[in-house]
Amino acid sequence: MVHALHEIHRALVDGGVLIDLRPLSDRRPVEIASARGSVEAGCLTDLPKALADDSAANNAMEQVNAEGIFSMEQTETFPVFYTWDTPNDFREYIADEWSNFLQLDEETFNRVRSIWASADGDARVRLRMKMLIVRWRKR
Amino acid sequence: MSMQIDPERNEAKTLQKFADFAGRRVLEVGCGDGRLTWSYASAAQKTTGIDLNESDLRVARIECPSDLSGKTFFAHADSIHLPFANESFEAALLTSSL
Repeated sequence: MVHALHEIHRALVDGGVLIDLRPLSDRRPVEIASARGSVEAGCLTDLPKALADDSAANNAMEQVNAEGIFSMEQTETFPVFYTWDTPNDFREYIADEWSNFLQLDEETFNRVRSIWASADGDARVRLRMKMLIVRWRKR
Repeated sequence: MSMQIDPERNEAKTLQKFADFAGRRVLEVGCGDGRLTWSYASAAQKTTGIDLNESDLRVARIECPSDLSGKTFFAHADSIHLPFANESFEAALLTSSL
Protein backbone atom coordinates (compact mmCIF):
# COMPACT_ATOMS: atom_id res chain seq x y z
CA MET A 1 0.00 0.00 0.00
CA VAL A 2 2.83 2.38 0.79
CA HIS A 3 4.35 1.57 -2.64
CA ALA A 4 1.07 2.55 -4.27
CA LEU A 5 1.03 5.84 -2.39
CA HIS A 6 4.60 6.55 -3.53
CA GLU A 7 3.55 5.80 -7.12
CA ILE A 8 0.59 8.15 -6.85
CA HIS A 9 2.88 10.80 -5.37
CA ARG A 10 5.17 10.42 -8.41
CA ALA A 11 2.26 10.69 -10.85
CA LEU A 12 0.83 13.83 -9.21
CA VAL A 13 1.99 17.37 -9.97
CA ASP A 14 3.39 19.42 -7.09
CA GLY A 15 0.50 20.54 -4.94
CA GLY A 16 -1.73 17.85 -6.43
CA VAL A 17 -4.64 16.44 -4.45
CA LEU A 18 -5.12 12.86 -3.28
CA ILE A 19 -8.56 11.77 -2.10
CA ASP A 20 -8.75 8.59 -0.04
CA LEU A 21 -12.32 7.25 -0.01
CA ARG A 22 -13.06 3.91 1.63
CA PRO A 23 -15.35 2.04 4.01
CA LEU A 24 -14.29 1.85 7.64
CA SER A 25 -14.48 -1.22 9.80
CA ASP A 26 -17.30 -0.23 12.06
CA ARG A 27 -20.73 -1.31 13.19
CA ARG A 28 -22.68 -2.24 10.02
CA PRO A 29 -26.40 -2.16 10.83
CA VAL A 30 -28.89 -3.98 8.65
CA GLU A 31 -32.29 -2.29 8.52
CA ILE A 32 -35.67 -2.85 6.98
CA ALA A 33 -36.54 0.50 5.44
CA SER A 34 -39.78 1.74 3.96
CA ALA A 35 -41.40 5.13 3.37
CA ARG A 36 -42.70 4.98 6.95
CA GLY A 37 -39.24 4.58 8.49
CA SER A 38 -36.67 1.94 9.31
CA VAL A 39 -36.22 -0.88 11.82
CA GLU A 40 -32.82 -2.28 12.71
CA ALA A 41 -32.59 -6.06 12.42
CA GLY A 42 -28.98 -6.60 13.46
CA CYS A 43 -25.46 -6.09 12.20
CA LEU A 44 -22.97 -7.69 9.87
CA THR A 45 -19.72 -8.82 11.44
CA ASP A 46 -16.33 -7.83 10.05
CA LEU A 47 -14.15 -10.84 9.32
CA PRO A 48 -10.41 -10.73 10.13
CA LYS A 49 -9.50 -9.79 6.54
CA ALA A 50 -11.69 -6.69 6.67
CA LEU A 51 -10.14 -5.62 9.96
CA ALA A 52 -6.63 -6.29 8.67
CA ASP A 53 -7.24 -4.34 5.44
CA ASP A 54 -8.61 -1.40 7.38
CA SER A 55 -5.64 -1.38 9.72
CA ALA A 56 -3.14 -1.71 6.84
CA ALA A 57 -4.73 1.23 4.98
CA ASN A 58 -4.57 3.40 8.09
CA ASN A 59 -0.95 2.41 8.70
CA ALA A 60 0.01 3.19 5.10
CA MET A 61 -1.49 6.66 5.29
CA GLU A 62 0.19 7.28 8.64
CA GLN A 63 3.52 6.25 7.15
CA VAL A 64 3.37 8.60 4.17
CA ASN A 65 2.19 11.35 6.49
CA ALA A 66 5.26 10.72 8.67
CA GLU A 67 7.48 10.75 5.57
CA GLY A 68 6.11 14.19 4.83
CA ILE A 69 5.26 13.51 1.18
CA PHE A 70 1.56 14.31 1.69
CA SER A 71 -0.11 16.61 4.17
CA MET A 72 -3.62 15.96 5.41
CA GLU A 73 -6.08 18.79 4.82
CA GLN A 74 -9.56 17.53 5.65
CA THR A 75 -11.27 14.38 6.85
CA GLU A 76 -14.88 13.31 7.36
CA THR A 77 -17.03 10.22 7.78
CA PHE A 78 -20.44 9.75 6.23
CA PRO A 79 -22.96 6.94 5.67
CA VAL A 80 -23.55 5.06 2.43
CA PHE A 81 -26.50 2.72 2.03
CA TYR A 82 -26.79 -0.46 0.01
CA THR A 83 -30.35 -1.66 -0.56
CA TRP A 84 -31.90 -4.90 -1.81
CA ASP A 85 -35.47 -5.78 -2.74
CA THR A 86 -35.60 -8.93 -0.61
CA PRO A 87 -33.70 -10.68 2.22
CA ASN A 88 -32.65 -13.44 -0.17
CA ASP A 89 -31.16 -10.88 -2.58
CA PHE A 90 -29.27 -9.40 0.36
CA ARG A 91 -27.91 -12.74 1.52
CA GLU A 92 -26.95 -13.76 -2.01
CA TYR A 93 -25.00 -10.54 -2.54
CA ILE A 94 -23.10 -10.93 0.73
CA ALA A 95 -22.18 -14.49 -0.23
CA ASP A 96 -21.13 -13.58 -3.77
CA GLU A 97 -19.28 -10.32 -3.17
CA TRP A 98 -18.24 -9.94 0.45
CA SER A 99 -17.84 -13.43 1.89
CA ASN A 100 -14.14 -12.78 2.56
CA PHE A 101 -14.85 -9.60 4.48
CA LEU A 102 -18.26 -9.72 6.13
CA GLN A 103 -20.38 -12.32 7.85
CA LEU A 104 -24.15 -12.48 8.00
CA ASP A 105 -25.07 -14.83 10.82
CA GLU A 106 -28.20 -16.96 10.66
CA GLU A 107 -29.86 -15.22 13.61
CA THR A 108 -29.54 -11.80 11.99
CA PHE A 109 -30.76 -13.12 8.66
CA ASN A 110 -33.82 -14.68 10.31
CA ARG A 111 -34.65 -11.36 11.98
CA VAL A 112 -34.22 -9.54 8.65
CA ARG A 113 -36.58 -12.00 6.99
CA SER A 114 -39.14 -11.83 9.77
CA ILE A 115 -39.24 -8.00 9.96
CA TRP A 116 -39.29 -7.68 6.17
CA ALA A 117 -42.17 -10.18 5.87
CA SER A 118 -44.41 -8.12 8.15
CA ALA A 119 -43.34 -4.70 6.83
CA ASP A 120 -45.02 -2.47 4.24
CA GLY A 121 -44.95 -3.53 0.61
CA ASP A 122 -42.25 -1.00 -0.28
CA ALA A 123 -39.87 -2.29 2.41
CA ARG A 124 -36.31 -3.04 1.35
CA VAL A 125 -33.29 -4.45 3.12
CA ARG A 126 -30.76 -1.70 3.78
CA LEU A 127 -27.16 -1.92 4.93
CA ARG A 128 -25.49 1.14 6.40
CA MET A 129 -21.74 1.47 5.75
CA LYS A 130 -19.56 4.08 7.40
CA MET A 131 -17.27 5.73 4.84
CA LEU A 132 -14.09 7.73 5.39
CA ILE A 133 -12.95 10.48 3.05
CA VAL A 134 -9.62 12.26 3.47
CA ARG A 135 -8.06 14.95 1.31
CA TRP A 136 -4.26 14.96 1.14
CA ARG A 137 -2.01 17.46 -0.63
CA LYS A 138 1.27 16.50 -2.30
CA ARG A 139 4.19 18.29 -0.67
CA MET B 1 -31.54 -9.44 -8.06
CA SER B 2 -32.38 -5.81 -7.60
CA MET B 3 -29.94 -3.81 -5.52
CA GLN B 4 -28.90 -0.20 -5.30
CA ILE B 5 -25.65 1.26 -4.07
CA ASP B 6 -25.85 4.68 -2.48
CA PRO B 7 -29.25 5.74 -3.86
CA GLU B 8 -28.92 9.02 -1.91
CA ARG B 9 -25.63 9.74 -3.74
CA ASN B 10 -23.85 10.52 -0.47
CA GLU B 11 -20.50 9.46 -1.94
CA ALA B 12 -20.79 11.73 -4.96
CA LYS B 13 -21.99 14.68 -2.88
CA THR B 14 -19.23 14.32 -0.31
CA LEU B 15 -16.60 13.86 -3.01
CA GLN B 16 -17.79 17.03 -4.72
CA LYS B 17 -17.45 18.88 -1.41
CA PHE B 18 -13.93 17.56 -0.84
CA ALA B 19 -12.37 17.95 -4.27
CA ASP B 20 -12.74 20.31 -7.16
CA PHE B 21 -11.94 18.24 -10.23
CA ALA B 22 -12.99 20.94 -12.70
CA GLY B 23 -10.44 21.24 -15.50
CA ARG B 24 -8.11 18.75 -13.79
CA ARG B 25 -6.50 15.58 -15.04
CA VAL B 26 -7.80 12.95 -12.63
CA LEU B 27 -6.51 9.45 -11.89
CA GLU B 28 -9.02 7.12 -10.22
CA VAL B 29 -7.43 4.06 -8.63
CA GLY B 30 -9.94 1.24 -8.17
CA CYS B 31 -12.54 2.71 -10.51
CA GLY B 32 -14.43 -0.59 -10.78
CA ASP B 33 -17.40 -0.32 -13.11
CA GLY B 34 -17.23 3.50 -13.12
CA ARG B 35 -20.13 4.05 -10.73
CA LEU B 36 -18.40 6.97 -9.00
CA THR B 37 -16.46 8.10 -12.08
CA TRP B 38 -19.61 9.32 -13.80
CA SER B 39 -20.32 11.69 -10.91
CA TYR B 40 -17.28 13.91 -11.51
CA ALA B 41 -15.78 13.10 -14.92
CA SER B 42 -17.82 15.63 -16.88
CA ALA B 43 -16.14 18.47 -14.95
CA ALA B 44 -12.63 17.03 -15.26
CA GLN B 45 -10.38 17.80 -18.22
CA LYS B 46 -9.47 14.13 -18.52
CA THR B 47 -10.16 11.11 -16.31
CA THR B 48 -8.19 7.89 -16.24
CA GLY B 49 -9.64 5.02 -14.26
CA ILE B 50 -7.57 1.99 -13.42
CA ASP B 51 -8.55 -1.31 -11.89
CA LEU B 52 -7.35 -4.91 -11.73
CA ASN B 53 -10.79 -6.36 -12.40
CA GLU B 54 -11.20 -6.78 -16.18
CA SER B 55 -14.88 -7.60 -15.87
CA ASP B 56 -15.60 -4.32 -14.06
CA LEU B 57 -13.50 -2.39 -16.58
CA ARG B 58 -15.51 -3.91 -19.41
CA VAL B 59 -18.73 -2.68 -17.79
CA ALA B 60 -17.20 0.78 -17.30
CA ARG B 61 -16.24 1.02 -20.98
CA ILE B 62 -19.68 -0.12 -22.12
CA GLU B 63 -21.58 2.17 -19.76
CA CYS B 64 -19.41 5.24 -20.27
CA PRO B 65 -21.83 8.07 -21.14
CA SER B 66 -21.38 9.39 -24.68
CA ASP B 67 -20.53 12.90 -23.48
CA LEU B 68 -17.54 11.49 -21.58
CA SER B 69 -16.04 9.49 -24.42
CA GLY B 70 -12.82 11.09 -25.60
CA LYS B 71 -12.03 12.40 -22.12
CA THR B 72 -12.56 9.35 -19.94
CA PHE B 73 -10.34 6.30 -20.25
CA PHE B 74 -10.05 2.98 -18.46
CA ALA B 75 -7.01 0.76 -18.14
CA HIS B 76 -6.06 -2.51 -16.52
CA ALA B 77 -3.24 -1.40 -14.25
CA ASP B 78 -1.81 -1.93 -10.80
CA SER B 79 -1.32 1.03 -8.48
CA ILE B 80 2.07 -0.35 -7.47
CA HIS B 81 3.35 0.17 -11.04
CA LEU B 82 1.42 3.08 -12.53
CA PRO B 83 1.95 3.23 -16.30
CA PHE B 84 2.07 7.03 -16.32
CA ALA B 85 4.82 9.61 -16.52
CA ASN B 86 5.76 11.76 -13.56
CA GLU B 87 3.36 14.59 -12.79
CA SER B 88 0.65 13.41 -15.17
CA PHE B 89 -2.29 14.29 -12.90
CA GLU B 90 -3.52 17.17 -10.78
CA ALA B 91 -5.73 14.90 -8.70
CA ALA B 92 -5.90 11.24 -7.69
CA LEU B 93 -8.81 9.39 -6.15
CA LEU B 94 -8.40 6.14 -4.25
CA THR B 95 -11.79 4.45 -4.38
CA SER B 96 -11.86 1.78 -1.69
CA SER B 97 -8.50 0.68 -2.98
CA LEU B 98 -6.04 1.21 -0.16
